[in-house]
Amino acid sequence: MIELAGVEKIYKRGAEEVHALRGIDLVISVAEFVSIVGPSGAGKTSLMHILGCLDLPTRGSVKIGPMRAEHMTEKELVGTRRKKIGFVFQQFYLIPGLSVFDNVRLPAVFSRRPAQKGEIESLLEMVGLQNRTHHLPGQLSGGEMQRVAIARALVNTPEILLADEPTGNLDTENSEKIFGLLKSLHLRGYTVVMVTHNQELAGRADRVVTLKDGRIVKS
Amino acid sequence: MVFLRLAFTNLARHKTRSVLTMLGIAVSAAVLLSILSFNKGFHKGLERELQRTGLHFMVVPSGCPHEVASLVLHGSVIPKFLDLSVLEKVKAADDIEFASPLLVSQLPNPEEGRVDLVYGMEMQKIGLLKPSWEIDGKIPEGENEVLMGSEVASHRGIKPGSTISYPNISRTFTVTGIVKKTGSQDDAFIYIPFVTAQAVFKKPSGATAIGVRVKDPALLTKITDALSEKVPGIQIVTMNQVMNSIANLAASAKALSLSMAFVAIIVSGFGVMNSMLMAVFERTQEIGMMRAIGASRPDIFRIILKEAALLTMTGSLTGLFLSVTGSGLIEAFVRKVMPYVPGGNMVSFDAGIALLSIAFISFIGILSGLYPAWKASRISPIEAIRG
Ligand SMILES: Nc1ncnc2c1ncn2[C@@H]1O[C@H](COP(=O)(O)OP(=O)(O)O)[C@@H](O)[C@H]1O
Ligand SMILES: [Mg+2]
Repeated sequence: MIELAGVEKIYKRGAEEVHALRGIDLVISVAEFVSIVGPSGAGKTSLMHILGCLDLPTRGSVKIGPMRAEHMTEKELVGTRRKKIGFVFQQFYLIPGLSVFDNVRLPAVFSRRPAQKGEIESLLEMVGLQNRTHHLPGQLSGGEMQRVAIARALVNTPEILLADEPTGNLDTENSEKIFGLLKSLHLRGYTVVMVTHNQELAGRADRVVTLKDGRIVKS
Repeated sequence: MVFLRLAFTNLARHKTRSVLTMLGIAVSAAVLLSILSFNKGFHKGLERELQRTGLHFMVVPSGCPHEVASLVLHGSVIPKFLDLSVLEKVKAADDIEFASPLLVSQLPNPEEGRVDLVYGMEMQKIGLLKPSWEIDGKIPEGENEVLMGSEVASHRGIKPGSTISYPNISRTFTVTGIVKKTGSQDDAFIYIPFVTAQAVFKKPSGATAIGVRVKDPALLTKITDALSEKVPGIQIVTMNQVMNSIANLAASAKALSLSMAFVAIIVSGFGVMNSMLMAVFERTQEIGMMRAIGASRPDIFRIILKEAALLTMTGSLTGLFLSVTGSGLIEAFVRKVMPYVPGGNMVSFDAGIALLSIAFISFIGILSGLYPAWKASRISPIEAIRG
């Protein structure tokens, strides 16, 4: 479903070049649960951005289904993000002024798709927050906020869920809950890619990809 | 709808900043609206005044055309005087219905620490000179009887029948009547018989001006031309000229105040820009996140622009409200600074003017939102959300 071949990412910081990814070959199949581990600065986030069509590689190719990301127009990239990708971040990034309901609805709004009330409520039920619908993010715990973020990532029924250190800001108990949620999504047929520092959680995925200095050292 | 709510909650996040920016817009909107509404009312009032006056022209000493405009209805003190022989000549001219001398001056009363504005006029001609006046009390008959404008009267608590004294000139006047509020400068004068004014101001044969009414207004030009030829040393100012020079004065005052209003609007536009730039800067991460979950650059652009629009719309509506509720204050202010203001309600609101001003200010506000919106749309999502 996503196929990376010889992907390199070079950031330019003034005159200095940072080689974040140095030739990544990676295939993520439909309904797979892949975890990505590696030290800080290894290029995990860079890889997630490329998987999520948020960024393009400096060199190499990215195939999303039949499409080649590097050949897409800006509009097609936006369309791909809307329809096929769900992002979850370490810092949740919920909008403080909007209710849980509206936060979850936001990607549908961007897609110009009138999301049904029931649709969003059943997503919130799935993440166990059916009675938090009208709360503001500030009234929730970290674990609850991350569950809202996961519901938000799912609202456009994406083909792949990309979670960059989703448990990085959570305690063990909440980490476990979030991981359980991702796992259950995987069991429902979602393709999930999760970056984590937690070796124990990583090991419970179908496959562990280890990055170091922009290269895959173990897969 | 969600975008609008988003804009609203984002503005609410920094209440003080948003309110201040909005107030900037509101004030400049109010100023613009008031100036435009005032101008409209001013012209209406001027026309009304023109129709109300009982005089067709004034004869004044030559060489003071500028003071004339204010003299007629405002009563500024002119240091030049007409000899009363002129009055006789004017009266003797053809087609004159009546001619009546006026003597305007200031009368100090050092003991009470004030200076009164005194208008000497022929009391028996009051109905012709001031046809629109309503008098509470009676018209003075004796030489020490006077009328008083409603403003001076109410200020000093004077009723018909009260007396006022000027020990410095050893005179005591009886106020026989109060002129009911006219809304014009007439309210600020004390009206004394012409002969008394001549005696008090020691001008036994002088007048500040002569007010003239002709039999047939259609012959006005002919009459005034003939008069200026016949009588040397005079100048004739028709009421139309007076109104025109007042209108010109008002127009230049308006041009000045309009340009100030525009400066205020531009400044508040920069306020919007600054406020929105700060908001964009603070929300870099949030904007990056929105891009990641499906917002396009134009989406981000629109979100920020909506916010700027919301800010300016509420601002200009507040301004509208302010200028409607504060029109009394504005009017009082204008009456203070303008040399002549016709009576009646000065600020005349008009839906068209209000709509136009709000549209204009919203346009400026939205224009100021363009750059921040563009900035926001250029935010790189990967920079913004580097995890
Ligand atoms: N936008 C960027 N500009 C410049 N350098 C970057 C940028 N993003 C990441 N990097 C650099 O690329 C390398 C990989 O970063 P990242 O992908 O964030 O690693 P990880 O998520 O594994 O910690 C790091 O050296 C980081 O400093
Ligand atoms: Mg990272």
